[in-house]
Amino acid sequence: MTQLAEKSSLLDSSFMARLDQLDVLSRKILAGKLKGERRSKQRGQSVEFADYRNYVVGDDLRFIDWSIYARLDKLFLKLFLEEEDLAMYVLVDVSKSCDYGNPHKATYLKRVAAALGYIGLVNYNRVTVAAMSDSIVAETGALRGRRRVAGMLDFLNKLEPAGPSHLAMACKRFALGHRQKGVCIVLSDFFDKGGYEAGLRYVASGKYDLFCVQVLSPQEIDPDLQGDLKLKDMEDADTAEVSITQPLIKQYKANLNAYCLALKDYVTRRGGTYLFTSTAVPFETLVLNYLRERGLLG
Amino acid sequence: MPNLLNPIPAMIAAGIVVPALLLLYFLKLRRREFDVPSTLLWKKAIQDLQVNAPFQRLRRNLLLLMQLLLLLALLLAFARPVSRVARRAGKLTVVLIDRSASMSARDPDLKGRSRLDEAKRRAKDLVSGLSTDAAATVIAFDDSAETVQPFTADVGLLKRKIDAIEPTDRRTRLKLAYQLADAQTKFDPDQLRSNIKPEVHLFSDGRALDTDDLSLVGNLTFEPIGSNQTANLAVVGLSAKRNYERPTQVQVFARLANFGPEVKRTDVQMSVDGQVRSVAAATLLPDRWTEAERQASEQAGVFARDSVEFTLDLTQSAVIMVEQMNKDGDALAADDSALVVVPPPKTLSVLLVTDGNYFLERAVGSLSLKDPATVTPAKYEAGLGTTYDLILFDRYQPKALPQVGSFIYFGTVPPGLKLSAEQRDGKMLADVGVAGVLDWQRDHPILRGVSSLSKLYVSDPLRLIVPSDAEVLIDGTTGPLVVLYRDGTRTHLVVGFDLLPSTWPLIVSFPVFMYNSVQYLAVGSEMNVRQSFEPGATLRLPRTALERAGGADLKQLRLIGPAGTTVHPVPAIGEVALGPFDRVGTYKLDPPVPSYEQFAVNLLDANESNLLPQTSAPAGIGQTLIGTGGQSRLELWWWLIAVGGLPLLLIEWWVYTRRVHL
Repeated sequence: MTQLAEKSSLLDSSFMARLDQLDVLSRKILAGKLKGERRSKQRGQSVEFADYRNYVVGDDLRFIDWSIYARLDKLFLKLFLEEEDLAMYVLVDVSKSCDYGNPHKATYLKRVAAALGYIGLVNYNRVTVAAMSDSIVAETGALRGRRRVAGMLDFLNKLEPAGPSHLAMACKRFALGHRQKGVCIVLSDFFDKGGYEAGLRYVASGKYDLFCVQVLSPQEIDPDLQGDLKLKDMEDADTAEVSITQPLIKQYKANLNAYCLALKDYVTRRGGTYLFTSTAVPFETLVLNYLRERGLLG
Repeated sequence: MPNLLNPIPAMIAAGIVVPALLLLYFLKLRRREFDVPSTLLWKKAIQDLQVNAPFQRLRRNLLLLMQLLLLLALLLAFARPVSRVARRAGKLTVVLIDRSASMSARDPDLKGRSRLDEAKRRAKDLVSGLSTDAAATVIAFDDSAETVQPFTADVGLLKRKIDAIEPTDRRTRLKLAYQLADAQTKFDPDQLRSNIKPEVHLFSDGRALDTDDLSLVGNLTFEPIGSNQTANLAVVGLSAKRNYERPTQVQVFARLANFGPEVKRTDVQMSVDGQVRSVAAATLLPDRWTEAERQASEQAGVFARDSVEFTLDLTQSAVIMVEQMNKDGDALAADDSALVVVPPPKTLSVLLVTDGNYFLERAVGSLSLKDPATVTPAKYEAGLGTTYDLILFDRYQPKALPQVGSFIYFGTVPPGLKLSAEQRDGKMLADVGVAGVLDWQRDHPILRGVSSLSKLYVSDPLRLIVPSDAEVLIDGTTGPLVVLYRDGTRTHLVVGFDLLPSTWPLIVSFPVFMYNSVQYLAVGSEMNVRQSFEPGATLRLPRTALERAGGADLKQLRLIGPAGTTVHPVPAIGEVALGPFDRVGTYKLDPPVPSYEQFAVNLLDANESNLLPQTSAPAGIGQTLIGTGGQSRLELWWWLIAVGGLPLLLIEWWVYTRRVHL
C-alpha cells in the first residue's frame, strides 16, 4: 500500500487507510454478476433470510424449515438473499475546461475518482473508471479487488484534460457499453454548451444509481476579474467581450447559482443525488464527510 | 484650394477630437484576453443584463437617433454651402456701405439693430480678415458717395471709420458710389503697379434708383441686408393746396403704402403745429402683392384704401403733419410721417383811393397793414398804385387796373368786366330809395363772424349785372349788394353801394367784414403752400430774401433742424446755400428769412420705403452672396457641426461599444 501511495500522487497512504473503512452504498438493491459481499435481488446462499415458498419436488431438502413442518404439517422452503458484487462506474470529465483553477480542477476530479475507485476495489466491487470529454476517451474496463488499485491509479494519472465537452455523446456511449446495473458516479463541471440534460438522460434511467458531483474552482464561483476583457473559451475558443462591472459579476453569480440549482433539480427528480463542491474544499473533507452525508459512501 | 475660415479653432478641435477617437478605438482593440473554462455563463449574464437594463430599447434607438441627428446636421451644413469664403477680403478691397434711409430700418431678425449697424458689423468682420499685405478703403453712400477712409492696411483705423458712419434719410444711388470706388482704386499706387482687380463688397439692401446705368471695374460681391418679412407702412405721397374758390381752406392729400408681407390697417393722423386735428383710417394691401392676390383679397371683403384727404381752414402759418399711427412692427420711422409748411398770409400793401371817407380811412388804418396809403383819384391816375397788393376804390371807377392784384370797390364797379352796373348815358344807374338785406352767405370766409346784417340799410344801391361765375355774398331787397368776382389773376370784391349814406359803418359787422376781406384777399394772393424738399436737397437763399431779412446786419444764419443746429455765415454779397438736408423733419431759420422761415424735408419715396431687399446684385453686376442672414447664421451651422455633430459622433460610438459591455 505504501508503494502504491508512492506511485500515485492522487492518494496518500494514511488517507487510503481511512478509506479502507468505507464502502460504496447503493440505495437500490441491484443484481450483480459474481458472488460478492453485497445483497442481491437474487435468492441465494447467504445467511440472511428472505422469504418462504412451497416445496416442490426437486428442491434441496436442506432448506426445508422443519419447525414449520412440525407445526403445520406442510413443507416450506426457506429462501435466503444472495450476496453478489456491485457494479460501480466512475465517469471523470477530462475536457479542456477542467484544466483550470487553483486548486486545479482536473487534479481534484481525478483524486475524487481515485478515492472512489479505491473504495470500490477494496470492497470487491466491479469498478469501471471512464474518462470523458466529447466522448468516452479512455476506460479501465471492469476492475475488481485490491490488486487492481495500482492499475486504476496509473490510468487516472495518465489522463490529461483536452478537447471540448460533449456530455450527451459521452453518456450515450457509456450507457450503450455498460448494460450492467450499478452505481454511476459522474464527476464533472457540467459546463456543456449543448446542455447537460441530453447526457444525463442516459445515465439517470433505472439502470444506474446516479451520483452527480459538480466540481468548480473558486475562480469560477467567485471570479476575480477586472477591467475590459476579452474572455476566451478554453474549449472552443469562443470569445465574449466584457467590461467587468459589479452588476455583471452579480448577474454571473446569479446565473451560476441558477445553473447549479437547475442541475440539482434535474438530477434529484430522476432519483439521483447531486453534490456541489469547490476545489477549495479539501478533498479529504469531500470524500470522508460530504459523500458520506449524501449516502454514497458508508 | 479651399479657404479655411476658422483654421485655428478647427485645428484645436481636431487636436482634441481625433486623439480621443483614436484612443477609444485602440482601447477597444487592446481588450485583454483572458481564458475561462466556458463563456456559457458570461454570455448569458451579458444577455440578461441587456434585457433587463432600463432604456435598453431606447438605447438601441438612441444609436439610430444619433445617427439621424448627425446626418441631419451634416445635411443642414451641406444645404448651406455659402460661407465666409465669399466675403474674404482681397488684396485690394473696396467696402461700400449703404447709409440711405432704408438702411435705418430695424428688421425683426436683427434684434433691435438697424440694417446699417448690421452692414457695419459685416464690413468690420470683412476688414478683420485683411491680410498684412492687403489694403482696404471704405465708401459710404446714399444718393451721394463719400470716401470715409482711403486705402489703408490699418484694420483698427478702418474699423473706427466704419463705426463712425452715420445714417441719413437720403435716397440710394449707386452710380456715384461705383464711380468713386473705381476712382479710389486708380489712386492706389499698388494698383498702378499691378493688375490686381479690386474686390468690391457692397453692403446694402440693394434698392437703388439708378440700376440702369451702372458700371464697375472691380469684382463686386453684393451682400443683401434685411429680411423680406419686415413690415413697413409709409407715407409715400403728400400734397397740400389751398382751395381755389376758398383760399383759406387747405386740402391735404396723403397716399400711403404697405411694404410688409401682410394686410395692415392704420389710423392716419393729421396735426397742425402739434395739435391733432383729424384722424382717418386706411387699409393697406401689401405692395408686393400681385394683381390676382389683390383681387382675391377684394373678393374676401378686404378693400384697399391707401389715400386719405383732410380739409382745414388756415389763415396763419402752420406746419401740417400727416402721420400713420400703426407703429407696431414698423421697421422704418423716417417714412411714418410727412410734413408740409403752410406759409403765413402775405402782409398786404393797401392803397385807398378816395376823395375822403372817414370810415374807410379808419377801417384801413386799424388793420395793421404794411404801408397803408391814401390817395385821391387824380393822383392814382397819375401813375401810382401799380405796386400795391390791394387797392380800395371808394366811389371812383378807375380808368384801368393793374394786371394782378386784388381790388375792393365801394359804390362803383370795375371797368371793362362782365361784372358791371346798369348804365345810362355813361352813368351808373341806382335804385332810388332805401334797401335792406335779404340774405347773405353766412359760411363764406369774408362774412364769417358777421352775426347779423338785418340792421344794414343802404341808400341808392347800384343795379349790378352779375355774371354766372361771380359769387353774390350779400343779396339786398333790390338786388345783389356785395359780389366776389375773379378775373384771371385779379380778384374783385364789389360793394354796390356808397358807405356814407348807409348804416354799415356804424354797426359791428363792418370792421369784421373789412378784416375778413383783407385776410381773404391776402391769402388768395399766394395760393400755393410751400412744397417740401427731398432728403439730400440743398436750398439757395437769394440775395433779395437775405436783404429783406436783415441786409448788411445779417452776419450769420442758424439752421435749426431735426439733427441739431448748424450755423451758416452770410457773406456780404451773393447767396447762401443751405444743406444738403440729411434727415427728414422741419427746418427753421433764425433769424427768419422771408419766404424761407420754415420748410419741411420729407422722404416720400416708395423706392426707399420699400424694405424688401434685392436678391440679386444691382444691374446684374457682380455676384450675390446667397443667404441674407449673413455670417451669424452661417457661423451657427459651423458651430452646429463642431459642437453638435462631433460630440454626437463620439456619443454614438460610445453607445455602440457599450452595447457589448452591459
